[in-house]
Amino acid sequence: MNRILPRGAREISFFVWLLPLVLVCIGVFVIPVFQIVQLSFTDATLLKAGSSFSLTSYSNLLTNPDFASIIGVTLSFVVASVFLQVVLGFLIALYLDYGNTQGLHGLLIVRTAVLAAWAIPGVVIGIVWKMMFSEMDSGLITALCKLVIPGARLQFLSSPSAALVSSIIANTWRGTAYSMILLYAGLMSFPKDLNEAAAIDGANAMRRLFQIKIPVLAPLVLICILLVTVQTFNTFDMLMALTGGGPGRSTEVIALNIYKTIFTEFDLGRGSAAAVMLLLINIGMTGVYFRFLREKGK
Amino acid sequence: MKNGLVTGVVLILVCLGLSPVFAGGKKEEAKPAASIIVNWVAHPAYSLTGSDPARVEYLKGVVGDWKKQNPQVTLVDNVLATNNAESMAKLLEQASQGRAPGVAQIDTYILPRYLPYLQPIDDLVKAAGIEMNDFFPFAGNIVKGKDGKIYGLQFTTDVRVLFYRKDLVKIPPKTWDDVLAVSKELKSAGFDAFLFPAGRAEGAANTSLWPMFWGQGGELVDASGKAVFGTGDNRTKMLNVLNFYKSLVDQGYSPSRVANYGNEADLNVEVASGKTAMFLGGNFQVAQLTSIIGADGMAKWGVARIPQKAGAKNATSAGGWSWGIFTKDDATRKAAFDLILKAYVGNSGMSNWCSIAGYLPTRKSIYSNPLYKADAYSGLFMDILEKDGMVRPVAEVYPQISSEMQIALSAVISGTKTPETALDDAWKAVNK
Repeated sequence: MNRILPRGAREISFFVWLLPLVLVCIGVFVIPVFQIVQLSFTDATLLKAGSSFSLTSYSNLLTNPDFASIIGVTLSFVVASVFLQVVLGFLIALYLDYGNTQGLHGLLIVRTAVLAAWAIPGVVIGIVWKMMFSEMDSGLITALCKLVIPGARLQFLSSPSAALVSSIIANTWRGTAYSMILLYAGLMSFPKDLNEAAAIDGANAMRRLFQIKIPVLAPLVLICILLVTVQTFNTFDMLMALTGGGPGRSTEVIALNIYKTIFTEFDLGRGSAAAVMLLLINIGMTGVYFRFLREKGK
Repeated sequence: MKNGLVTGVVLILVCLGLSPVFAGGKKEEAKPAASIIVNWVAHPAYSLTGSDPARVEYLKGVVGDWKKQNPQVTLVDNVLATNNAESMAKLLEQASQGRAPGVAQIDTYILPRYLPYLQPIDDLVKAAGIEMNDFFPFAGNIVKGKDGKIYGLQFTTDVRVLFYRKDLVKIPPKTWDDVLAVSKELKSAGFDAFLFPAGRAEGAANTSLWPMFWGQGGELVDASGKAVFGTGDNRTKMLNVLNFYKSLVDQGYSPSRVANYGNEADLNVEVASGKTAMFLGGNFQVAQLTSIIGADGMAKWGVARIPQKAGAKNATSAGGWSWGIFTKDDATRKAAFDLILKAYVGNSGMSNWCSIAGYLPTRKSIYSNPLYKADAYSGLFMDILEKDGMVRPVAEVYPQISSEMQIALSAVISGTKTPETALDDAWKAVNK
């Protein structure tokens, strides 16, 4: 039975209900972020106690040619991964939706198989793909390629450009399921009468896809792109296991650089400055996301 | 009427009431006699929760006996993260904030960084009858502070060597020229002649770069701890090392895929393939490889000193783990020391632990202890350690030198940069 609380009680109740969330947010997000921002303006390292205010972390970072290269690698990795994940996720979602409308068997198996890649931890995915891309004759992909081109010199992970492509393939395999889930949900709620009306009007499947389904689903696709982009910017666990950022810095994305700077070089100041950069990128992406949601709600 | 409000308040009270359950972690068993709590933190592979049944069985036995002998002590065991760099960084942060455990395992090369937080144990070492000059010099010296006091005990060590197939390489190469000469024959016979870790992990620097650099008399840092590896003679010596590896790859004696192998153990899969003739690795790979290729397979492999530039002296890199005691409470300090003495550092502890786990003892007398089960290579490992063993510098800048030189080596191997450019970029990055 619904009861309407008096205004005063409602306000108190509102704050009481919100309090746990606020406390959790402050404890696990606001304070750590504040500390990271604070550390980024110091010369703190893990090797000595104490630190002093300094802008050298930012000046070193922004004038370092390696950081420009890391940003370039990150953008290549993110743009290619997001494009492939969203396109492949959409294709799989369409395939599942088609199977659903046709009453085909085995859809659950397909969904589970795709979702399995999403559920596996990034480190495990990195190790699995490292074995797949092994350049020894025992490497699965190497062995298959050598069946086609015997004696081919394959460098999936030891050539800088190939290593980046290999990393993108592994990350696409990992992340496609997430796009598929979002877009499949959109297709499931797609108004069927629109599709049927277009079919009666003589629109073939391709026209229905490009002129009805995609325009209707466009807001969801954009949300999907934004969420996948934020996730991909933050990727480092899979790359850590797959390439370690190498050879050279060819697969070192910004999140991996932060990890290595803090935990391998013990440089808290510089690592925190890079983390603030990544945070700003993510805040920008999130801002676009919320703005879009607001526009959509109008 | 005020159900929402009441429910909210009740929920908060319930959460507060449950908070000790979430915050408490391991709940101590009631032990009325226990008045000392020892917080013991070990690397997973050295702990009661390791994956090797033989190690765990040994530790459970010795720790169980120790608990019976010390009913007044409650032992709380925890483990470090498996990533060594990360676990050492976190432990250092805990120590600097006064949250370090009572006794913890520390990667020895970085132990001097913990000196401000560790407690001296000279009195306990003396009472246990352990002579510091029984330790290899590098192991005995690194645990001492500037005040001459002992702040830790190194209980295992390792050494980098050349492994070679005895059926393929009759005389192990001593110089780089020897390596190139024998590699030519091995390549024509279809073997990967010479492998080494050249990826982005500490193994690449510690095994592939430093021994050959040190052999020429190169120095990574000067006496004040300032980086000097990329300037003057040191630059030439480091370039010599990078050029040697480049020539191996250019001539097809080493595959470029070594740029993916950051640690020594990454090469094990190559060795198991049967196509590898020689590789640079660590003594700990003997046990690992024996479990992979069997004792018969391992019997094909010989061990020798790392080949050096003609005219250079022998040098190699030694590492290993130490125990350090952080607690200031004297009774807890003594209890923690007694635990590590029994399990890892004393005569039977070090003999048994090194035999079971396949590590090299840091005390010379242990090699002749009847309890120590040496493998076929232990005598040579001890000789190399004693004569050529060197440790990484403890300078604040070392982690960055190592990281940048790992990048430089993998860039040279993958053909991204010339040795000169790679070294100069590393030098600039360290000095920025």
